[in-house]
Amino acid sequence: MHAKALRHWLTITAMAISLSPLAQAADYVGGDEVTVLQGFKPGGGSDALAQLVQPRLSEILGVDFVNEYMPGATGAIAWTRLAKQSPKDGGTISITNTPMLMTNYIMNDAITYSTDELTPIANVVTDPGIVVVSPDSPYQTIEDLFEAAEQSPGTVTIGNSGVGGDDFFTTILLEQAKGLSFKKVPFQGDGPSATAAMGGKIDASFNNVGNVYGQVESGNLRALAVFAEKRLTSLPDVPTMKEKGVDIVAGSSRGYSAPAGIPDEARQQLIEAFQTLAKDPDFQAQAEKRAMNLDVVTGDDYRAMIEQMESDYRGIWESVKDEVGR
Amino acid sequence: MDSSLVMIGLTNVLSFNNIACILGGTLLGLFVGAMPGLSATMALALLLPLTFSFDPATGLSMLASLYVGASYGGSIAAILLRTPGTPSAAATVLDGFPLSQQGRAGEALGVSLFASFFGGLMSGIALLTAAPLLGTLVLEFGPVELFAIAVLGITIIGSLAQGSVISGLLSGGLGLLLSTVGMDLTTGTPRMTFDQINLFGGIDFTVALIGLFSVPQALTLIENSHQGGKVASRITDRLMPRWSTIKQLMPNILRSSGIGIVVGLIPGTGGDTASWFAYNEAKRFAKDKSRFGKGEVAGVAAPEAANNAVVGGALIPTIALGIPGSSSTAILLGALMVQGILPGPNLLTDYGDVTYTLIWAVILANIALLVVGLAFTKMSVSVTKIPDGFIACAILTLCIIGAFAINNSLFDVGLMLGFGLFGYWMSKAGVSPAPMVIGLILGPVMETSFQQSMLIGNDSFGVFLESPIATVLLILALLSILQATPFFRWLRVPFKRRLKPD
Repeated sequence: MHAKALRHWLTITAMAISLSPLAQAADYVGGDEVTVLQGFKPGGGSDALAQLVQPRLSEILGVDFVNEYMPGATGAIAWTRLAKQSPKDGGTISITNTPMLMTNYIMNDAITYSTDELTPIANVVTDPGIVVVSPDSPYQTIEDLFEAAEQSPGTVTIGNSGVGGDDFFTTILLEQAKGLSFKKVPFQGDGPSATAAMGGKIDASFNNVGNVYGQVESGNLRALAVFAEKRLTSLPDVPTMKEKGVDIVAGSSRGYSAPAGIPDEARQQLIEAFQTLAKDPDFQAQAEKRAMNLDVVTGDDYRAMIEQMESDYRGIWESVKDEVGR
Repeated sequence: MDSSLVMIGLTNVLSFNNIACILGGTLLGLFVGAMPGLSATMALALLLPLTFSFDPATGLSMLASLYVGASYGGSIAAILLRTPGTPSAAATVLDGFPLSQQGRAGEALGVSLFASFFGGLMSGIALLTAAPLLGTLVLEFGPVELFAIAVLGITIIGSLAQGSVISGLLSGGLGLLLSTVGMDLTTGTPRMTFDQINLFGGIDFTVALIGLFSVPQALTLIENSHQGGKVASRITDRLMPRWSTIKQLMPNILRSSGIGIVVGLIPGTGGDTASWFAYNEAKRFAKDKSRFGKGEVAGVAAPEAANNAVVGGALIPTIALGIPGSSSTAILLGALMVQGILPGPNLLTDYGDVTYTLIWAVILANIALLVVGLAFTKMSVSVTKIPDGFIACAILTLCIIGAFAINNSLFDVGLMLGFGLFGYWMSKAGVSPAPMVIGLILGPVMETSFQQSMLIGNDSFGVFLESPIATVLLILALLSILQATPFFRWLRVPFKRRLKPD
């Protein structure tokens, strides 16, 4: 009973805080309250995004956002609920993490939702992929790593955040692009993978910039390359894979999606809200403070981004699934 | 070097606001910890957004003290109701509940409070003085070493099997088997999930823990409620333990705190593991092992000192390297990030003022714990005056709320009730649920780290012998197994014969 009262009290206070600058914008057709399904535990990366985005979105749209956490099966429980069992009135949305959103069902037949059953609203952040090694590692450049893998295929150990995560697929993309073969070691998340690289337990970790930036800055990890279009302003000395002749741009992205078939007006209002949000200098400053790399892609462009990823990752999985399930 | 930063941190903490927040956080932590199913991690995550608007010192002080409070709070329900309030209080049940049945609940709670206080204080001091030194130790623990730790932990099952070794092994084996449910880490293949999406992430061991300990206890209370004789305990003795008791327990508390700090250091293991290790060592070092499980204060002091020492231990790598030592410290790290402090080894230097505030808050929270704990525990004891039937219903209600709250999933409630019925059968059949819980906790750690080790070591078992840490731990594990078998007695047989005249 105390537990219930406690949670209740926390919810009320949290709502009071998020509502404090009383909203007075145009009426949102999806209702006064929008439920946000969260596929991961409170306190994680998705929650951090929600804390950053939703209070501001709430001012723009004049609605309350209520988070509903249903962690499990790397987000698949929440996304199945979103696609199959949520009202299609714009009153329920979810934070969608790519490529996890697609690789979940590409890899497991038991997961039955698909991105066709969703209305992509907007991508908000993309954390680019990065290759990091221990500061004592013999590999000074990404070429050193390539060379080692060439000389003894299948022995250079590369950590990733788990089978199905972005780093796992990025490793395969690189193998296919360069004709190399690595020993892929999955960890339970980006953190343990980075720690193993730091201690020299693995040769390199394919990770994401936001997770390791502090460690790279302080010299606990050495960055060899980033999987981004251009060099990052935060890490100007780290070359991109493109510069090294490998055309791979990859990372882990988080955005918002609604179920398929919501009213066009609701979709339009949501998209416009995200476009307004993207221009807010305070939002941009807060995102930078939290080491979040903004990458706002809305509406049809976000759908195109998801469809492109879906076909890419399906192709990769088809070509490697027999080898992975050895 | 940066003693000025240490002092800045201390003065930051010592303001009226912050002390109020520390007291409030500790009390909140006590409540949360006392409720089965509500863990420190969950409460931290819920409280986190509220602290965004506070200044860093106040917010962090409150979060840290909540963590400290919850680590003790779990033992209250474990001792009075045989329902561990948090996973790390499961080991406390073994001796805490028998003590309260004997009318010594006050002594048990008092010892638990003092052990928690000393454990927390010691780890706080370790954090303040040795964080940079101990922090680098963490990097020595990779998958290979983690596997060896898990193996060593599993050998505890042998010594925890009360009564029949066979039933203990059965319970432990079942725990290990159940821990394999869910997605395989290296292949992504779902195992034993029957296409049930709720099982993809595996069985949350907190769900199993609530079912295995709490439901059978509630059912037993109902069974006996009409018999007149009250099973639930009263506090007939005083809460403050005698000085002589504390003096006697001191070596045990120091050892258990050490275990807690080290286990907390290692990412991937936390209070749940540390408390079992400490309990096992307390038993190993005790002169009279037979009293364990029947109400031995040392069996309460050990896990409680250890699980509070985990708090500081887990913060050591968090602060020294930016690597969280437990899921709770991962959230504390999130709190630092919100204040614009990025995880990394510069926490102690560039952001020293905030970091040392956090460290002092941990130390002060332990003192607050002693004060708040004495008052709160006295209050909580009134629970024992309620008739058993009502208590049983309250336990069941809390179990359901707790199981639901973990993942907001009704499926977990069903799973918890299933474990509850199985646990009831186990208690009737005289099979202890403790080994099963250890299997569920350590199974995934062992399996994952084994697969990773095999990948790193090119499928050669030699990889375990190349690491000195792993080798030592595995030898310890082997000795621990042999100790539970008649092997050492056989070894001694020829010598004994020689001594005999024939």
